[in-house]
Amino acid sequence: MAKRTAKKTALKVVKKTPAKKASAPKASVAVARGTPLVEMKDISIAFGGIKAVDHASIDLYPGEVVGLLGHNGAGKSTLIKILSGAYKRDVGQIFVDGKEISITNPRDAKANGIETIYQTLALADNVDAAGNLYLGRELKTRLGTLDDVAMEDATRKVMFKLNPNFRRFKEPVSKLSGGQRQSVAIARAIHFNARILIMDEPTAALGPQETAQVGELIKQLKAEGIGIFLISHDLHDVFDLADRLVVMKNGKVVGTAYTKDVTHDEVLGMIIAGKCPKGAIPGPGALRDAA
Amino acid sequence: MSNTPNTSQSPAVEKEGPITRLLRATEIDARILGMAAALLVIWAGFDIYSRLFSTIGFDSDGLIFGGSFITPRNLWNLLNQTASIAIMSTGMLLLIVMRQLDLSIGSMLSTVAVAIGTLQVFRLAPALGEGNRAIWIIAVFGALALGSFMGWFNGVLVAYARIPAFIVTLGGLIAYGGLAWAIIRGETVAPMDSTFELLGGNVPQYSLGVFWSWVVAVVAISGIVYSIWNSRRQRQRFNFPLRPMWAEWFLGAAGSVMVGLLTWVVTIYPWAPNVIKQWATDHHITVPAGIEDKDGNAICMAGEQMVRCVHGYIVYTGYSIPFMIAVGVGLAMSFVATRTSFGRHIYATGGNPEAAELSGINTKKLTVKVFILMGFLVGIGSIITSARLNAATNSLGQSNELYVIAAVVIGGTSLSGGIGTVSGAMLGALLMQSLQSGMTLLNFESAFRDMVVGAVLVAAVFVDQLYRRSVK
Amino acid sequence: MKNIVKAVMLGALAATAMGGVANAAGKTIAVSWKTFQEERWKGDEATIKAVVEAAGDKYISSDAQGSAQKQAADIEGLIAQKPDVIMVVAFDADAILPSIKKISDAGIKSIAYDVQFEDPNALYITFDNVGVGRIMAKEVLKVKPEGNYAFIKGDKGDPNATFLFQGQLEVLKAQMDAGKIKNVCETFTDGWKPDNAQKNMEQCLTSTKNKVDAVLSENDGMASGVVAALKAQGMAGTVPVSGQDGDLAAINRVALGTQTVSVWKDTAQLGKAAANAAIALADGTAIDKIPGVAKFNGGKKKVEMNAILLAPTPITKDNIGDAIKAGHITKEQACAGVKDNAACK
Ligand SMILES: Nc1ncnc2c1ncn2[C@@H]1O[C@H](COP(=O)(O)OP(=O)(O)OP(=O)(O)O)[C@@H](O)[C@H]1O
Ligand SMILES: [Mg+2]
Repeated sequence: MAKRTAKKTALKVVKKTPAKKASAPKASVAVARGTPLVEMKDISIAFGGIKAVDHASIDLYPGEVVGLLGHNGAGKSTLIKILSGAYKRDVGQIFVDGKEISITNPRDAKANGIETIYQTLALADNVDAAGNLYLGRELKTRLGTLDDVAMEDATRKVMFKLNPNFRRFKEPVSKLSGGQRQSVAIARAIHFNARILIMDEPTAALGPQETAQVGELIKQLKAEGIGIFLISHDLHDVFDLADRLVVMKNGKVVGTAYTKDVTHDEVLGMIIAGKCPKGAIPGPGALRDAA
Repeated sequence: MSNTPNTSQSPAVEKEGPITRLLRATEIDARILGMAAALLVIWAGFDIYSRLFSTIGFDSDGLIFGGSFITPRNLWNLLNQTASIAIMSTGMLLLIVMRQLDLSIGSMLSTVAVAIGTLQVFRLAPALGEGNRAIWIIAVFGALALGSFMGWFNGVLVAYARIPAFIVTLGGLIAYGGLAWAIIRGETVAPMDSTFELLGGNVPQYSLGVFWSWVVAVVAISGIVYSIWNSRRQRQRFNFPLRPMWAEWFLGAAGSVMVGLLTWVVTIYPWAPNVIKQWATDHHITVPAGIEDKDGNAICMAGEQMVRCVHGYIVYTGYSIPFMIAVGVGLAMSFVATRTSFGRHIYATGGNPEAAELSGINTKKLTVKVFILMGFLVGIGSIITSARLNAATNSLGQSNELYVIAAVVIGGTSLSGGIGTVSGAMLGALLMQSLQSGMTLLNFESAFRDMVVGAVLVAAVFVDQLYRRSVK
Repeated sequence: MKNIVKAVMLGALAATAMGGVANAAGKTIAVSWKTFQEERWKGDEATIKAVVEAAGDKYISSDAQGSAQKQAADIEGLIAQKPDVIMVVAFDADAILPSIKKISDAGIKSIAYDVQFEDPNALYITFDNVGVGRIMAKEVLKVKPEGNYAFIKGDKGDPNATFLFQGQLEVLKAQMDAGKIKNVCETFTDGWKPDNAQKNMEQCLTSTKNKVDAVLSENDGMASGVVAALKAQGMAGTVPVSGQDGDLAAINRVALGTQTVSVWKDTAQLGKAAANAAIALADGTAIDKIPGVAKFNGGKKKVEMNAILLAPTPITKDNIGDAIKAGHITKEQACAGVKDNAACK
C-alpha cells in the first residue's frame, strides 16, 4: 500500500519543499534524493502555556537514520509522539511519501507503517512478552480465539535476535529487568515491518552486548530501506549510526546537519548554546548572531 | 532477577515442598487453590458446628460430618442463592481489571426487574393472554436489552464525557434507584409469567433431573480432558516445555472428580414430599404401598392415603437452571477474558492504560463495550432474581453492588487494575454466600453475620497481599 | 389514579360523616406539611382538605420542602393568618418544639400528624405500630394455634422491626410459655428486602427440615420472598404467612390463600380522623373529650400526651371485598388467578 502512494505523489513533493530563504540548499538536496518518507512541517504543540514544540520541521528519507538531539525537556519526545499519534498537534502538517496524512491517534500512525519505541517503553506490565508484542494486533486461530502458542513462538524468534539469553516468556513484563523490558519494546516495534521507526532512547537501559546488538539491528533495518528517527543523548552512538542529525532546544529546531559535516564539539555547541556551525543548516531555534 | 534458565529445569525445583511442586507442575493458580481450601474449611466448620450445637434437635442428611450444612439440600440452595451475584461478579471483574467500577448495578437490577415485571404482568399478559409462550421470551430479551442499554449509557459517560466511573455510577446508583421506584411507585408486581418463573430455579420440577445432570457431567468431563489434551498438543507443536505427564493426569482426575462429586450431590437432593405428591397426582403415577414415616423423603400409599415414607416413590432434583446459567456465563466470561483479544485488551488496559492506547487499542470503545457487558450481565441477574422471587419490586437488588464488588475483591482481584480471574470472582461470590447462608442456617444474629462478612473481606485482601509480596 | 379514586370517594364519605355533627362553620384549619416529595402526603392532603371543606371550614397549608428552618418560618406565617388549629407533620421532631410553643402562645391548638413531637398540649394522631405486630400474630394464631413459628423480621436498623416483633410476642406469649408454640427461626432481613427474606426463609426451612408451621413476616415485600421459599418446598398455601402494607400483590396472595393477612394502614383513614379531630378542636371541644383520645407516653422522652391511635385493618381472605370497595385495589388485581374467594365472584 505504501509503495502505491509513493509513486503517485512523487511529483507533488517537489513543490512542497520548504520555501524559507535559509533552507534553500536543503531543498535542493531533497529534490536530489526524491520524496522524503516522512516530513513534519511547522509542528507546534503547547501544554497549558508551555510550548513543548514550537514550529519544528523535520524530515526523513528511506534508508536514512536521523538522530534527534537536545537537552532534557527540549521537546524531542513530544515531537515524535505527535508523529506516532500519542499527541495531537496544535498546528502543522505531516506528510508520508509526500502525501498529507492525518494522525489523530496511534492507530493512524501504525496504519501508515510508523512504529515507535517509547522512552517510557509503554508496556502493559501485567501481560507477558508475547502479549505485549502483539498487543492490539493479536494472532488468532481459525476460530477467532487468541493463538497464544503461535504468538509465543514468534516472540521467541524475535527476542532471540535481540537478547539471546532471554527465557522468561511466561511472566508478566513487570517481573523483567529494565533491559529485558526494553528488548521487548524494541521487538514489538521491529516485528511488524515498519517503514518508519521511531526509537526514543532505545538503548538507555541496555548492557554493552545488547546495545551493540541494537546497533547492528539499526544498520540492518537501514539497509532494508527503513527510515529511522533515533533519539539519544549518547553522541558516540548518534555519530556512529545516524546519517543526519537534528538538534532541538526549547521546542525549536536549532539546526540540521549531515553527521559527516560536523564535529562532536560543534554538535555539543548546538545542544547547549544553540550555536549553529558552518556545516549545518540553521533552524528557527538557532542563535541569531551564529546564523 | 538475572536471566534464569528454562524454568522447568531450574535447580530450585529440588528444594521445593510437595505443594509448591504440585502448583508449579500443574500451573494451578495458588490463589484459586487457597480460596477453594478456605471454602472447604468454612463448609466443614459450619457443618461440624451445626452438628455440635444444634438447638432444634433434628436428624440430618449430613454427608460428611452429619451437620446441616454439607447436605445436598443446603448445597443445592447455596448454588442457587449465589447464581445472580456470581454472574454479575464476572462483569464487575472485567471492569475492575480495567480500572473502572460500576456502583449502579444494584439499582440497574431493580430497574430492569420492575421494567420487565410490569411489562409481562401489565402489558404482555393482557395483550397476548396469560401464559403465552412469547411472554417470557420477550421479557428475557427486554431485560438483556435494557440492561445493555443502561450499561452503554454509563460507559459513554465514562469514556467519552470523561466523567470518572465512580461518579457516573454513583449517580446511577441514586438515579436508577429513583427510576425503579418511579416505574412501580413502591408497589410489587407478582406473580411473573409462569414460564419466566422457571428461570429462577424455584420450581424444582424444572431442574435438570438425574439423567440430564449426568449428561452435563459427562460433557463437562470430556471438556476438561479435551482441553488438557489440546493444550498439550499445542505446546508440542511449537516444542515448548510440557507439563510433566503426572501433572496432566492429576489435573484431569481432579477436575473430573470435582464434577462427579457435585453432580452426585445435586442428584441425591429429592424434591420436597409435597411437590412429589402433587407431581404424582398430576401425572397419574402409581405410588408404591408402604407405611407412614414422617421423616421420609419419599411418598407411599398407606391404604387410600398418600403419605411420607422412607422407601417409596421419590424424584431427585439435579442441577438448577440458575446454576446452569451461572456456569455458562462463567465459562463464556473466562473464555472472553483469556482467549479473546477483547479480553487481552481489557487486561492490558488495566495494566497500563497509556500503553494500551499507544499500542493502538481504542480504549474508549473498549470501555463502553465492557460497561455494556456489565449491563447485559445485570440483565441476566435481574431475570434470575425476579424469576426466583416470582415478584419484582424496586428494593430488589439494592446494595447488590456491594456484594458483587466484595466477591470480586475476595476473589483476588487487584483494585489497582490488571489482575484478576473470572473463576476467582465467582468463587469469591460463593464464599461470601456460604458465610451468609451458613450463619443464617445456624440462626446467628444478622449483626454478627455482617461483622463476619466484612472482616472476611478485609482479611481476604490482606492475605492476598501477603501472598503477592511473598511471590515477589 | 388510585389516589384520585380514593380522594373522590373520601370526599363523599366525609360529607356523610359530618352530616350529624352540629358545628359552627367558618373556622380555619392550617396544616404545615414536611414535604410533598414523598407521594403519600399529597394523598393525605386531599383527604384532609375534602373533610375540612365539606364541614364548611377553610383549609390553608404550607410545604416545608424537607427543611426544618423553612418549617419554622412556615408555622410563623400560618400563625399570622390566625387559624383555629394548626396540624403539623414535623420534619424534625425536636427542632419543631419552639414553633409548637409559639402556636400555643398564640392561643391556637396543635396536632401532631403521624410524626410525633413531644409537646404535652398537642394532640398526637397516628396508627398504633405495636398494634400491627399484634394483629399479625392474632390472625396467624387463629389459623395455627400451635406449632413451629418462624419470625422473618425487618431491617435491624429500623426500630419498627423490633416494635413489631414485640407486638407479636405479646400475643403469642401464653402459647409459647405453655410450650405450644416454638420459635424455630428468628432473623432480621437486611433492608426489608424480599430477596433476602427468601434466602432467610430457605435457610430456615433447611435447618428445620421443613418443620415450620407458621411464618410471621413483618411486611408484604418480605412475605413475597417467604411465599416463594415455601412454594419451592410445596408448602405455599398450607403454612400461614403474615405481612403488612396492603401491597397489591400481597392482597392478591391473600385472595389466593398463600398469605394469611396483610395489615393495612389506610392513610386516608388517618387523614379523616385527623381532620375530624381538628374540626372538633376548632369548635372548642376539649382535647381529652375528642372521641378516641387516650393518654400516650411511648415517645422518646416519655412525655405524656393526648393521642388517637388508630387500629390498622387486617386484610384477610374474608374482607378483601372491603379493600376493593375502598378503591385501594381493583377487583382484577386482587383476584388474578383466584378461583375460590367470595369477593372475587
Ligand atoms: N503530557 C505533558 N503535559 C505537560 N507538559 C509536558 C507533557 N509532555 C511533555 N511536556 C513538557 O514538554 C517539554 C518537552 O518534553 P519532552 O518529553 O518532549 O522532552 P525531551 O526532549 O524528550 O527530554 P528528555 O531528553 O528528558 O527525554 C518539557 O518541558 C515537558 O515538561
Ligand atoms: Mg524524551
